[in-house]
Amino acid sequence: MARSFYPPEAFSPRPSQFFLLPFRFTRFNDQELLVNEAGEFLLAPKGTARGLVDGTIDTTSALYKDLKAKHFAYDDTSSPLLDVLATKIRTKYDHLDGGTKLHIFVVTLRCEHSCHYCQVSRQTASKDEFDMSRETADRSISLMFDSPASHVTLELQGGEPLLAFEMIQYIVSGAKEQAEVRRKTLNLVVTTNLACATDEMLLYFRDEGVKVSTSLDGPAFLHNKNRPRPGNDSYERAIDGIERSRVILGYDNVAALMTTTSTSLDHVKEIIDEYVRREFHTIFLRPISPYGFAVKTKTRTGYEIEKFLDFYKQGLSYILEINRSGYRLSEIYAQILLSKILTPHGTGYVDLQSPAGEAWNVLVYNYNGDVFASDESRMLAEMQDWTFRLGNVHRDTRHSLFTSEAALNMFEASCNQSLAGCSDCAFQPYCGADPIYHHATQGDMYGHRPTSGFCTRNMEVIKHLFSFIEKDDPLTMGIFWSWLTGGPVPTEGLQCA
Amino acid sequence: MEQQRESSLPHKTTASLRISNEVVSVDALLKTCYWFSRDFFCDVQKDGPGFSLVSLKRKDSSPIQMEELRDTFMNHALDFALRERVTAKTADIRDILLAKAFSESGVLEDRPEGVFGDPIEEAKSDGMFKILGNS
Repeated sequence: MARSFYPPEAFSPRPSQFFLLPFRFTRFNDQELLVNEAGEFLLAPKGTARGLVDGTIDTTSALYKDLKAKHFAYDDTSSPLLDVLATKIRTKYDHLDGGTKLHIFVVTLRCEHSCHYCQVSRQTASKDEFDMSRETADRSISLMFDSPASHVTLELQGGEPLLAFEMIQYIVSGAKEQAEVRRKTLNLVVTTNLACATDEMLLYFRDEGVKVSTSLDGPAFLHNKNRPRPGNDSYERAIDGIERSRVILGYDNVAALMTTTSTSLDHVKEIIDEYVRREFHTIFLRPISPYGFAVKTKTRTGYEIEKFLDFYKQGLSYILEINRSGYRLSEIYAQILLSKILTPHGTGYVDLQSPAGEAWNVLVYNYNGDVFASDESRMLAEMQDWTFRLGNVHRDTRHSLFTSEAALNMFEASCNQSLAGCSDCAFQPYCGADPIYHHATQGDMYGHRPTSGFCTRNMEVIKHLFSFIEKDDPLTMGIFWSWLTGGPVPTEGLQCA
Repeated sequence: MEQQRESSLPHKTTASLRISNEVVSVDALLKTCYWFSRDFFCDVQKDGPGFSLVSLKRKDSSPIQMEELRDTFMNHALDFALRERVTAKTADIRDILLAKAFSESGVLEDRPEGVFGDPIEEAKSDGMFKILGNS
């Protein structure tokens, strides 16, 4: 006896009406881009947002099913699944869990380089009064572990921290001791130009599990121009240091960052080629920070954000070309944004978060004990702007740092959900707030979005990435996903039919 | 709904748009002007009952052509008006969502609505099986 089945309609009854879930939208090329509170998106035909609001979307259409599946609408045939959406939102903000995780110790202001764009007011290599004292180090370590985070990263920075190597040893030893007492895990990183790195130092880093982060601005002519030092050999020393570090610490424990100066703008391919030649598999096309000497020497290093965006787009295109040829090279900023757009997760990248990562996710302990909300705010203080000095390790607790007037003023401008221009922006879940940047560039922590370099850069880069998503080229999307998952880079031969 | 008053100033560097607040609220006009403030000096005045007069004076750096201004401005204004309607319709559920998302105690987590089972089978008087609902 044959079993009779119900018709398909019986399993998907037509809802009598539907209801909206919160979302934002923007026009995108010939479509509309809808983004919900958890950052899930849908590229939909023009008029979709209006159709949703007016209730005129055909509830039997494929579009309606997409809108329902991506949490833009719900109806009486479905549970609103609020808990699912709430969980997705919570996942997106998981970087807030646990409090400040990155703690930067400025062990000395001394440096033997004199980079035009340096964010720090460098001191000559002989002035050891600009080194962190043991008392300041002890107190900073204690404050670091007062953070509720169970896992913290201690970044040793300068100046050039290797000029105060004894202080590095003192801090590493003290921090490890305290980590054990407080039952926390500790990551250690030293940010160094490697010019003064001896094998003994590198062996010490290997033995203590300290990773190395260094600077590589591009090929020799560019790196040496950006990073002058006596002997004009910054590049040669950096390359020598990178190679020795890799031998001693291992490949994965050595990373490099570049900064884009006005000279760099015409050399994006050469910069990327240098990273490939040196066998790096990540590159971060970073704009210059509008702080410190970068502001003072603007004529030498500065440029308009539009020029940087041209540089960035050219660079990303070239990086994709390199990936297509089989060499894995991810661009870090695109990777951060794609993670926010394509995955349920947020990122720990402190410069693009809401609430802003400053203080919540990073604290800077200066050589003299002053505590700042970020490296950039420390540098503003070097220019006599103390707006973001939260306090001093010798007189403050974590509670008093976070309830200081400086912190509270900053926190008010730290959420893009409540900032003019951001509150309605479709890209809000992918973007951040940066009160320190806007204070430095516009004299106002809240900032004026239409003229903000931060907003222009992020809007344009996010739109650029969405243009790839819209085209949905299998190879390009495969490369993006390989950056996000760590999987193999697809090549031409692996394209879907 | 709205009309454009061409300026009598040379080179058409200014324009005025009279807009019904039934179509675009003052708040939505102010948000539109916010984004136009990079390229224009903007002013919004009341212009009789239920109407606003938006005055725009072009800055030298503006890439927007005056001929396109009316359409461009209205597109943006209508989008902001639509966003207001989305916000009005979803404000309560957004508050609940965020409260649930950031509640660590779990007290705001509801059991899913509806019946765990097969509503079609259950609706039949001679349904072959029935799974207990959660009510």
